Amino acid sequence: MSFDILWFAFHILIFPGLLFIVVMGVLLMGINNKMVARMQNRVGPPILQPWYDFLKCCGKETIIPRRAQKFVFIGAPILGFAVLITAALFIPFGGSSVLSSTGDIVVILYLLTFCSVMSIVGAAASGSPYAGVGLSREMVAMIAYELPFVLVLLAVGKLAGSDSAQGVTFSLATITEWQTAHLPVICHISMIPAAIAMLFVIPCEIGMHPFDIAEAETELCEGTLTEYSGAPLGVYKLTHCVKVYVMTALFTALFMGGITTGMVVVDVLIKILVCLVVTFLSMTLPHAVCARFKVEQVFKFYWTFVSALALISLVLVWIGL
Amino acid sequence: MFQKMIDDSMKRSPWIFHINAGSCNGCDIELVSVLTPRYDAERFGFRLTGSPRQADIVVVSGPITLQSRDRMIRTLAQVPEPFCVVSLGSCPRSGNVFKGSYAIDGPLEKWTHVDVSVGGCTPKPEAIIAALAKASAILEEKRKAMRQADKADKEKRS
Ligand code: SF4
Repeated sequence: MSFDILWFAFHILIFPGLLFIVVMGVLLMGINNKMVARMQNRVGPPILQPWYDFLKCCGKETIIPRRAQKFVFIGAPILGFAVLITAALFIPFGGSSVLSSTGDIVVILYLLTFCSVMSIVGAAASGSPYAGVGLSREMVAMIAYELPFVLVLLAVGKLAGSDSAQGVTFSLATITEWQTAHLPVICHISMIPAAIAMLFVIPCEIGMHPFDIAEAETELCEGTLTEYSGAPLGVYKLTHCVKVYVMTALFTALFMGGITTGMVVVDVLIKILVCLVVTFLSMTLPHAVCARFKVEQVFKFYWTFVSALALISLVLVWIGL
Repeated sequence: MFQKMIDDSMKRSPWIFHINAGSCNGCDIELVSVLTPRYDAERFGFRLTGSPRQADIVVVSGPITLQSRDRMIRTLAQVPEPFCVVSLGSCPRSGNVFKGSYAIDGPLEKWTHVDVSVGGCTPKPEAIIAALAKASAILEEKRKAMRQADKADKEKRS
């Protein structure tokens, strides 16, 4: 009995829980930065740079502005981080996930939105006009990527649920099982547009460079983060890194899950490799190639091009291709 | 040990905030060129940030005009400890070609502590990088001193 609890605690705290998630997030982010630098013919920051940034922020003084709502101002980043870790626990990586239910996908969707909302709440509590502009932009970005995101999830759910009685599944475990039985989702031609749409959704959800309209440092003084300093800022930066892991891991679970060799270590290594490839395609390439988009450009792009791609997949799956 | 790690990372990730106190834009362009692929200061962890709240190194260029003086002081007051001030170019040092003008109120030392000062009109990018590297080393020292002062304070009280 007590061994069970210990084992569960190990899952939550070490692997595939907190420690593993943070390490993966920092590494993916660092490797992404390094790859961007190499593509721009630079040497680039060390791979552990995000970790140094976090530590440095912890060592700085934390200033709370006089006009800020103190409780919300400090609480929002911590809550956002906790929520994101919880979301990560639902995603199977290698073996099975730590937590699972019949509605994994809906829970993950809610938790991811909650995390973004927390950054909005924190910005609103800081009482800075720059943060005000930043949070309105963050909301626009959320509305922009949420539509194609939900469409992609529906398409995958419909495809993987075609065996079951309900027709659509919202459980990642079922999706993984289905992929073990059939081929991985990405091998179905009808799902390729959805995969591309998902690759576009990832950087906007994370707020990576060409889509970081809410944190535009040159126009908005870091936007939602304007008033943050010290440890809360460090937590925000860490949340950012962890989001990279969560989104890439979600992509792997949705589109390339269910590939098993029987050995957990090999499975995990394969997953890490896939995560790296996804990071390169969805984050490094746009970052190195594009300048930052304008707000209305992001909105238009997601609601026309990306949504159309996701919709094509959904229709193709629904008519049974 | 955790505190040691923080001390060490202090010099590895210094974020720069740039204040233009009436500069002719020559120094500003050189500072930006330091961050371009050619000189790539990001390989040492330097990053230009947009908010003084997140800055570790504040770079001031220009001869401190009357108009910008109060704003500069207010911005410097918003930077969390520990931080370094770097004066960029000859202007904040001495007034340079603007010396004697009724519109300037320099030098920079009058208003704040200056940790590193780079001369030249404009300084070379290599010199700016060297100055920034020096500033980040000073940053680590400051953090250590701050920690020791904290410790001594606690011991005194207990
Ligand atoms: S030092 Fe020279 S280049 Fe720099 S701001 Fe002064 S006049 Fe301009």
